[in-house]
Amino acid sequence: MIEYIAKRLIWTPILLLIASFFVFFMGNIAPGDPAELILKNRATPEKINALREEMGLNKPLVIRYFSYIKKAIKGDLGDSYIFQGKKVTELLIPKLLVSIKLNIAVTIISVFVGIPLGFYAAKRRGSWVDPTIVLSMLFLFAMPVFFTAPLLITIFAVKLGWIQASGWNGFFDKQIILPALTIGIPGAAIYVRYMRASTLDVIDQDYIRTAFSKGLNNNTINYKHIIRNSILPILTLLGFTIAGIFGGSLIVEIIYGIPGVSRLALDAIYQRDFPVLTALVLIGSTMLVLANLIIDIAYTIVDPRID
Amino acid sequence: MNKIIVLALSLIFIISTGCATEDSSSNTNTSSENQSKPSLSPNLNEKSQPSTNQQGEKKSGGILKRVWSDPPTLDPHLVTDGTSYGIVIEVFSGLVKLGSNPNEPIEPDLAESWKILDGGKTYEFKLRENLKFSNGENVTTEDIKWSLERAAHPDTGSTVAEEFLGDIIGVQDIIDGNSNNAEGITIIDDEIIQIKIDAPKAYFLAKLTYPTAFIVNKQNINEGGRNWTDNPISTGPFTLKEYKIGQRIRIARNDSYWGSPAYLDEVVFNLAGGVSMAMYENDEIDITGVGLADLERVEDPTEPLNKDLIVVPPSFSVSYIGFNVNEPPFDDVKFRQALNYAVDKQLIADQVFSNLVRPAYGIIPPNFPGFSQDIEGLKFNKEKAQNLLNESRYSDPSTRPRITVTVPGTGGSPGLTTEVIADMWRQNLGIEVEIQQVEWATYIQDLHRGRLQSFSGLSWQADYPDPSTFIDVLFRSDSALNNGNYSNKEVDSLINKAQTEQDITKRVNLYNDAEKIIVNDAAWLPLWWGVEAKALVKPWIKDYKFYSMTIPTYQYVWIDKDIY
Repeated sequence: MIEYIAKRLIWTPILLLIASFFVFFMGNIAPGDPAELILKNRATPEKINALREEMGLNKPLVIRYFSYIKKAIKGDLGDSYIFQGKKVTELLIPKLLVSIKLNIAVTIISVFVGIPLGFYAAKRRGSWVDPTIVLSMLFLFAMPVFFTAPLLITIFAVKLGWIQASGWNGFFDKQIILPALTIGIPGAAIYVRYMRASTLDVIDQDYIRTAFSKGLNNNTINYKHIIRNSILPILTLLGFTIAGIFGGSLIVEIIYGIPGVSRLALDAIYQRDFPVLTALVLIGSTMLVLANLIIDIAYTIVDPRID
Repeated sequence: MNKIIVLALSLIFIISTGCATEDSSSNTNTSSENQSKPSLSPNLNEKSQPSTNQQGEKKSGGILKRVWSDPPTLDPHLVTDGTSYGIVIEVFSGLVKLGSNPNEPIEPDLAESWKILDGGKTYEFKLRENLKFSNGENVTTEDIKWSLERAAHPDTGSTVAEEFLGDIIGVQDIIDGNSNNAEGITIIDDEIIQIKIDAPKAYFLAKLTYPTAFIVNKQNINEGGRNWTDNPISTGPFTLKEYKIGQRIRIARNDSYWGSPAYLDEVVFNLAGGVSMAMYENDEIDITGVGLADLERVEDPTEPLNKDLIVVPPSFSVSYIGFNVNEPPFDDVKFRQALNYAVDKQLIADQVFSNLVRPAYGIIPPNFPGFSQDIEGLKFNKEKAQNLLNESRYSDPSTRPRITVTVPGTGGSPGLTTEVIADMWRQNLGIEVEIQQVEWATYIQDLHRGRLQSFSGLSWQADYPDPSTFIDVLFRSDSALNNGNYSNKEVDSLINKAQTEQDITKRVNLYNDAEKIIVNDAAWLPLWWGVEAKALVKPWIKDYKFYSMTIPTYQYVWIDKDIY
């Protein structure tokens, strides 16, 4: 096990190197010049060249890349092109923490709503409960965020006055409820589908029939045999949910006024803020690799057959 | 400020304007032989606001809250955009500022008065007594000189120093990295400073209102390094209390300010976004723009929000479709004129935009210095358009080069204006046009490289109250911002004459003559002048007013706690 983890950890920096080089390379071949974007329509060829020189953009790509990596190893991810004088880490970390907290809340809702509902739907296969759960979750999943978010704000903030229409006060504040529900409930729909399918698969297995026929307690069968086995595919999904803090929350962050990382990422793409973009890809890749590693370890705990 | 915008982005900028009247009268202008005269003054007061309850005493205290965007910079010398400008002019200040008096738009700020000597080539400023930075240190003429030189220094990295300070003798040498000293700036004593410029340019004072000419604290910058704007020492009516990127900016009353202290304790700019109408209705913010989606509702007199509704005067801006006059078929003036005559802007304004836009037939917007009603422009005339097309070198569709209008954006829709205009060209002239939408970064690069044959989605906003901010900057042959490569020797000569003409009437006439030629040459297809917008202001916010240019606002605003 330890050997496995060590192997995975050794691969991590190599994956990160490849990912970061791709961003650097793609940035270089994409049309649009950061210096010109900063100068906007005040640009003259001299000004563009002077600014490119100052930003180090006139050096060859490979040299730029390696000097970036050298600094990155020491924790310096460079300076933002757009926010003048600001270090990328200074910009990213506070926003990243906000997005992580929001994403944890989202994951909690998705998992704790989706898994029990999916399980329950599977157990009630053949009755009206199963299609009702599946269809209503599909309905919620199909509703676009730019519709549900303003609707929730109008009801809970403007009409009922329970919360503010916009703002972020941290994880343990009621402000987090609406944005977390807005992303978490459609997210739960996916868990419902996976959990339902996976549970149905397990329920039909011989060992479950055997468990029933030998008169085992219903709860024991549910928790010890069905859920434990049907949750395995869910773990994979969970890994992607945890790692996916950059995707999916952009519209929610904008509508609810949450100072998260998504909008920074979008602006960085439009403005060709390569240092911010590269840092985001590095952090995103690290999270994905680590999340997968954690999930792999979790597999071995949930399912002793996996070594 | 130059702004390339899509229409939707303009609102936040437009509603950022405002100022009050009463206290500004205490900024007595004791200057000047040659101050701007009425004929060259923008009518900033065109639509003034609200039903402020002037009865009772103005009260200090309270916090004004509004939505804003992250400013790309808070260093006044680096400001080039409206978002940064709106914050920086509240925190920093310069020798002169833009004021609300339409007859004298340039008001004294740190300078109590000024004289114009040497036939308009030397400006002598007298500083106010006991001027202080926000940390209590005195502001001296040394600080003024150091600040102006710092703005020009290559290490500062200002992209607009040449544009706003380049007239000062010696500044170009600093920009070029050949000197650290602007010979044209002379300290006479602790209170008097002289600035010499290379020619008697009438707009020079107006340019000094831009943040590039604002005063900064040497020690603050030397000690603060690249992050000095996190804790800036400044001279404006407010100081920066907090800036959390993507979250909020808080500015607080500057007790060391030379004028009457601001009434408000703080102004909080929410940077995190949110649905601003909902935030306004929930009393989380005090001011918001009204989007088209909410307009009908708030204009309904029975709607409670209706009483907060305010008309925001149009900004001094013009949007246009640019033609690259070096590229066929736009190298033929008759072809360009035909395209102009073929567009019924009034019809588009009526039918498509419910009169929320004002058709532009010239360059300089109404009420702006130098605006001329005599310029009729190339108004819709189908017959004339067809005749001109027939007379042009490109009358034969089989040999006519393919026409592409490029628009910036990622939405998949090129924008209604461009589509409708292309349709009018098709219907009235039989000219087929391809609309190409490219992502913003590519658009701006191609624009600078001169690769675009024709370009839409652009607008230009005045930087300072002088016609040169439109005519010189956009149409002089050698101007870097003349993206369509328009070149006319007569226009250049008129602009050169206008730059140094001291007689205001003659100067305005020179600019009018230049503008007439530009319009007649159909260098652009001017589309719309700045549009009127609607905003909501809470009833307890008093003396918040909207103007067509962004001028320092919040120091005059107060909160009526009896209503609050």
